[in-house]
Amino acid sequence: MSEAVPVLELRGITKEFPGILANDHVDFDLRRGEVHALLGENGAGKSTLMNVLYGLYRPDEGEIRIGGKPVVFHSSKDAIEHGIGMVHQHFMLIPVMTVAENIVLGDEPSENGVLLDYGAARGRVRELSRSFGFAIDPDALVQDITVGQQQRVEILKALYRRADILVLDEPTAVLTPQEAGELFEILRTLSREGLSIIFISHKLNEVLEIADRITVLRRGKLVDTLPAEGATEAGLARLMVGREVLLRVEKTAATPGEPLLKVVDLHVRDERGIEKVRGVSFEAHAGEIVGLAGVDGNGQTELIDALAGLKRPEAGRVELAGRDVTRDSVRAHFDDGFGHIPQDRQRHGLVLEFSIAENVALHEFRTAPDSRLGWLHPRTLIERARRLIREFDVRGGGPETHAGALSGGNQQKVILAREIDRDPRVLVAGQPTRGLDVGAIEFVHRRLVEERGEGRAILLVSLELDEILSLSDRILVLYEGEIVGEFPPTVSEEELGLAMTGGMHAEHAA
Amino acid sequence: MSETVRQLPEEQLPVSPSTLERYRILQKAGGLVAPLLTVVLAFLISGVVVLLTTGSVVDTAKTYKGIFDGTGLDWFFHVGSYQIGVPFTSARVWFPWNTNDISSQAAANLEQTLLLWTALVLVGLAVAFAFRCGLFNIGGQGQYLAGSIAAVLVATELPHVVDLPGVLLILVSVLGGMLAGAALAGIAGILKGTVGAHEVITTIMLNWIVIWVGSYLFDVGGPLQTKAAGAAGAVPASTDIPDKAQIHVFWGDPLFQGLDVGFFVAIASLVVYYLTLNRTTLGYEVRAVGHNPEAARYGGIGVARNYFLAMAIAGTFAGLAGALDLLGWKFREDITDIQSSSIGFIGIAVALLGRNTAIGVGLAALLFAALQTGTASRSLDPSIFPPELASSLAVIIQGLVVLFVGADVIILLALGWLRRRRPQKAATAT
Amino acid sequence: MSRLPRGGRAIAWAGVLTGVLAGLIALPPIEIRSAAAPVVVGLAALTVGIGSWIRGERRIGAYAVATGVLGLVIGYLATRSSVDKLDAVVVWGALFAAMLRYATPLAFASLGGLFSERSGVVNIGLEGMMLTGAFFTVWGADDTGTWTLGLAIGIGAGGLMGLLHAFFSVSLRADQIVGGTAINFLALGLTTYLFVKLYGSQGTPSNISTIPAVHLSFLGHGFVGDVFGRLDLLIWVAIALIFVVWIVVFKTPIGLRIRACGEHPRAADTVGINVYAVRYGAVVLSGMLAAAGGAFLSLGFNGSFTPNMTAGRGFIALAALIFGNWRPFGAAAACLLFGFASALGVALQTYSLSISTLFTALPYVITLIAVAGVIGRSIPPAAVGRPYVKQ
Repeated sequence: MSEAVPVLELRGITKEFPGILANDHVDFDLRRGEVHALLGENGAGKSTLMNVLYGLYRPDEGEIRIGGKPVVFHSSKDAIEHGIGMVHQHFMLIPVMTVAENIVLGDEPSENGVLLDYGAARGRVRELSRSFGFAIDPDALVQDITVGQQQRVEILKALYRRADILVLDEPTAVLTPQEAGELFEILRTLSREGLSIIFISHKLNEVLEIADRITVLRRGKLVDTLPAEGATEAGLARLMVGREVLLRVEKTAATPGEPLLKVVDLHVRDERGIEKVRGVSFEAHAGEIVGLAGVDGNGQTELIDALAGLKRPEAGRVELAGRDVTRDSVRAHFDDGFGHIPQDRQRHGLVLEFSIAENVALHEFRTAPDSRLGWLHPRTLIERARRLIREFDVRGGGPETHAGALSGGNQQKVILAREIDRDPRVLVAGQPTRGLDVGAIEFVHRRLVEERGEGRAILLVSLELDEILSLSDRILVLYEGEIVGEFPPTVSEEELGLAMTGGMHAEHAA
Repeated sequence: MSETVRQLPEEQLPVSPSTLERYRILQKAGGLVAPLLTVVLAFLISGVVVLLTTGSVVDTAKTYKGIFDGTGLDWFFHVGSYQIGVPFTSARVWFPWNTNDISSQAAANLEQTLLLWTALVLVGLAVAFAFRCGLFNIGGQGQYLAGSIAAVLVATELPHVVDLPGVLLILVSVLGGMLAGAALAGIAGILKGTVGAHEVITTIMLNWIVIWVGSYLFDVGGPLQTKAAGAAGAVPASTDIPDKAQIHVFWGDPLFQGLDVGFFVAIASLVVYYLTLNRTTLGYEVRAVGHNPEAARYGGIGVARNYFLAMAIAGTFAGLAGALDLLGWKFREDITDIQSSSIGFIGIAVALLGRNTAIGVGLAALLFAALQTGTASRSLDPSIFPPELASSLAVIIQGLVVLFVGADVIILLALGWLRRRRPQKAATAT
Repeated sequence: MSRLPRGGRAIAWAGVLTGVLAGLIALPPIEIRSAAAPVVVGLAALTVGIGSWIRGERRIGAYAVATGVLGLVIGYLATRSSVDKLDAVVVWGALFAAMLRYATPLAFASLGGLFSERSGVVNIGLEGMMLTGAFFTVWGADDTGTWTLGLAIGIGAGGLMGLLHAFFSVSLRADQIVGGTAINFLALGLTTYLFVKLYGSQGTPSNISTIPAVHLSFLGHGFVGDVFGRLDLLIWVAIALIFVVWIVVFKTPIGLRIRACGEHPRAADTVGINVYAVRYGAVVLSGMLAAAGGAFLSLGFNGSFTPNMTAGRGFIALAALIFGNWRPFGAAAACLLFGFASALGVALQTYSLSISTLFTALPYVITLIAVAGVIGRSIPPAAVGRPYVKQ
C-alpha cells in the first residue's frame, strides 16, 4: 500500500467448519472513504469472512488490523467498539419492536440510569435520519415498514453506533432495481462523508456500478483484488467461477399447447388477515414456462400456497387441466397432476431426518406398490430412490442416506426428482435455485427447460431477475398482490424493474 | 406495501455445525452409549445424596446393593446345574439356571418388577408414540387413570346388564380402558391440531381433571363408592370387580400380586409399536409430522389429523396399562391410588431414556421397574438407609436421568474436549 | 389501551356483562328466587353472543355465549338451592379474599415465567421451582427461627433450580421442555426426600415463624375491609410486583434487551448483547419468583409443607402467562380468574364435601378452556424454546 495506512486490514484469515474450509488465508484491506466490493458465488466464503470481521466467528488463523493496530474481537460488541457496523443479509431487526427501539438496542439512552429514555431515542433517530435524508418514522413497528426502509433502519443502527466502517452483506438481494439505485445513492453519500464501505455481492453489474475496488473470492480463497475501473463483467465472472459461464440458458422457442393451469380472480389473505393476493388471473399452457417476477413479499407465497391447496383462497377459482381444484386438499392437488417445488426446500420441501427413499415417497406412500392396506413396502421405496438417484445425479448418498446429510444442490435434486417422477401436468417452482452453487443452478435450469419440452405447464416464481429472464417464455409481474404487467422474455431489466415497483400499475401493459 | 420479516435466527445459517455434529455422534453411538452414560451419571449423582444420608461410601454401596437385591433381578443369578422339562415330553435336560425357584422372595420381587414393567412399557410407549409425532405427552398419568377407571366401571357394571363369560368381560373392560385413554389424550391432540394449544399444558390439566373427577366418583358420598359391607373405615374405593373379570395370573399367587397375562400384552405392544411406526403408512405420516410438520403439510399430510391420531394411540397404550393393572392385580380403584400414583410420570423417563424406540423402551422400563421395586421392597437395612426415603430417591434418579437425556451435549463436550487435547499433545510431542 | 369499545364490539361486551348478570341476580345479595329470571337473562346473553359471532365479533361473541350459558346454569342452580346454603357459600368478601390468596402463588410463578419466556427460554420447570421454594422456605424458617431468613433461603433455592435449568437449556442447549420436566422430577424427589428425612411422619412443626399479615383496620368491615383488611404481606408484594415487572420489562433498557433475546437472539447478539447472560439472568430470576410463590403457598398460606403441595400450580401459572399474552397485567388477570375458581371450589365445601371435591377440578378445566380458546390470538416471543447457538 503506497498511501496512508488502510482503515482495516485482514491478514491470512482462515476459518474451518466441519468438512468445509470456508476461508483459506484470505487477505483484504479497506481504504478510507472507498467502496470495496467483495465478490464471489454463494458459498465462496464472503459471509464467513465478514462474520469473522464482525466478531461473530473466531478465525482459526490470521489477524485483523484496524488503523494498523492488531485487534482481537471476542464478540460483535468489540467490533462495534472499533467502529464496524454491519448490515446483514437477513436483517437483524425485531419485527414487533419500533424502529427507535431497534436502533438503540444494546446502547440505550436512559433516564436517571434506570428507565429507558424513549423520547431521547426517538429524537436521536429523527436527527440521524434527517441528516442522511432518510424518511423514517421512529415509532413505526419494523414489521409494518417496507424492506427498503428496514434496510435503512439497519444502516441507521450502524450510524447510531458511530461506525466508520460499514459492511453490507448482499444488500440488494431483497430490493427492486429502483430501490437498489436509491441505496447506491445513500452509499455514495456515506462514502463522501468519510465512511469506508465493504459491499458484498455476487451480482457483477452492481459491483461494477458502485465499487472503487473489487476483491474476488472463490471457494474460500482470495483470487484477486483489482480496481473497478477497467474491469468487465465477463472478466469478473471468470475470476468468480473459475471458468467461462453460460449467462443464458439455451432453449428453443416455446410451443404452448392447451391451458393447464387457469387462475381466475384469485384473492388470498395471509395469517394476519391481510389480503396479499388481490384478484390475480392468468393462464399457463402446456409446454411453456411462465415466469412470475416481483419483489419478495408481494403475494408470491400466498399465491403459491393457494395454487397448491395449502391455503383456502377468499375468492376466485383455480383450474387444473380444466378441473376446478380451488377447494381441494393438498393431497388431491398432487393426485390431480400438480407438482410443487417449495420455496424453502429445507423447511418445506424435505423431511431432513427422513432418508432419500422416504422423501421421494412423500406423495406415493399411501398407494400400491408403495403400500397395500396401510402396510409399507420399504423395498419399493428403496428401488425407486435408487432409480431416481441415478436419473437425477444425486450425489453424496444412497437411498437410505438422510436428506439432511446432502448438500443444498443435491437436496434440490431430490425434490425435483420426486415432483417430476410423478409426471405432473403443472409444475410450480418456487425460487428453485435459491442458495445453490453454479453447477446445481445449471442442472435445475436445464431440467426445467426439459420438462417444458415434455408438455408440462411450468410456473417459475423467482426473485432473481436473471433467472426469470433467461428461463421464461412469458413474464408476469406481481406487485402488491396484483399482476401489473405481462412481458415477453426480451423485455429489459429496467422495464421489468419499473413494473415491479408499481410504476406500470395504471397501464396494464400487454 | 408492507412486509414482514419474522425470520428466526436458525434459518439464517444453512445448518449450524453443532447440529450436524450432534447428529453424527448420535448415529455413531447407535443410541446406546448416551443412554448408558446417562444412567451411570444419574446413579453416581444420586449416590451423593445417599452418601450424605448414610455418611459412608461403604453404606452407600450397601444401600445400592440393598436396592438391587429388592428388584428380584438376582433371581437370574441363581446359576448352577439344574434340570428343565422339555415341553410336550417327559424328558428333562440340563439347564444352567434354577427355573424351579418360583416361590422364593427373589421370585416374588421379580414378579413385582415384571408387573411394573408391564405398566411402564405401556405408559412409556404412550409417551414415546406421541414423541415420534413431535408431541410431549405428559398426560400418561391421566390416561392411565382414565383407563383403569373405565375398566373398573365396565367390569363392575356390565355384569348387571349382560352376563358375559370371563374372557369376554375382560376383553370388553380392557377395550373400555383403551378407549377412555384414547379419548382423553385425543382431546389434547385435537386442541393441538385445531387451535394449537400446547399439549404439555393441556395434558397436565387433563391429568388433574381426571384425578379430581376420579376422586369425586369414588370418594365418600361419591356416586360410585362401594356400598359393600366391611368397606367402612377403609380408604374410599370402588366396588371390587367380579372374580371372573380378573386376568389370569400365570406366575405367583393371584392374591399377592402375581404376574398376570398382561405381561405378554406388553411384549406384544412393543412389537405393535415398532411395526406401526416403521412399517405402516400411518407410522410414516406420524414420523413425517414429528420431524417436520411444515414439510408434511406441504407434502399433503394432514398435520392436525396426525396430531389427533398420535395422541389417541398414545392414550390407548396408557389406557391399556391402566386397565391391565386394574384387572390384573388391583381389582378395585381407591382414591389414594388415584391421587398418589405416579406411574405415568415414570413413563416419561422411560420414553426419554429409551429414545422412543421399542427396544429402548423395553430396557428403560426394566431399569425403572427394578428401581421402583427395589426401593419399595424391604431389602434395605433400616439402620443404614431409611426405607421410607427410598421412593424419593427413585424420583431423584428419574429426574437426573431425564435431565441428562436432554443434554446429550455433555457427551459432545467431553468428546470435543478430548479432540482439543489430542492435537495439543501431538504438538508438545514434536 | 383505554379506548372504549364501539359498535359491534361494544354490543358483544354487553352480552358478556349480561351473561355475568344472569348468574349474579340469583346470588346474594340480590337473590332473586324465581328460576325464570336467570334463564331469561342468560338466554338474552346467549342471543347477543350468537348474534355477535355471526356479525364477525367472534372472540367476544364466544365469551358472551360462554358467560351466558354459565350464568344461566349457575343462576338456575342458585334458585334451586336454599337461601341458607347460598348465604353460606357465597360470601363475596370472603370469596374475593380467598381469590387473592389462591391467585398470589400463581402470580409470582407467572411473573417469573414471564421473564424466562420473554428471554426465550420455556420454563416448564416453574412447578418444581415453586415446590423447591415451598420446602426450603419452611425449612429455613424452622431452622433459623425467622420467616425473613426462611424466605431468603427458599428464594435462593429456587434461584439455584433456575440456574440448573439455565445451565442445561442455555449452555448445553438441551430441549427446554425436557429440561423443565427434569427440574420438576428433581424438585419433587429432593423436597420429598428432605421432608421425610428431616420431619418424618410428624410433618413440619406447627410453631414455625410465618409470614405476617398486614392489618388495615381502617378499611372497616364492609366488602373492601373483608377483602383487603387482613392480607398476607406477600399478597401485597405480589400486587406491587405486577407493576414492577411491567416497568422493568417494558420501560427499561434491561427489559428491552430481555425481549430482544426472546424475539431475535441473533439480532441482540449482533449489537453486543450477551444473549447467554441475559437468558441466565432471566431464568434464575424466574426460579426465584416461582420460589417466592411456593414460599407463600407453604409458609404464608398453610404454615406447613406437604410433599407435592404445588399440585400443578406451576403449570396453571404457565397457562396464565399464555392466557395473559406474556404481559404482566394480562397474566395477573388470568391468575385472578384461576384463583377465583379455586376459592369457589373451597367455598363449596360448606355445601357438600363431595361436590367440593369435584369442583377442585374447576381451575384445571378453566385453564384447559383458556389455553384452548386463546391460542392463535396470543403470540409467544418468536424465539421461545429455541436454544441460541453462538458462533
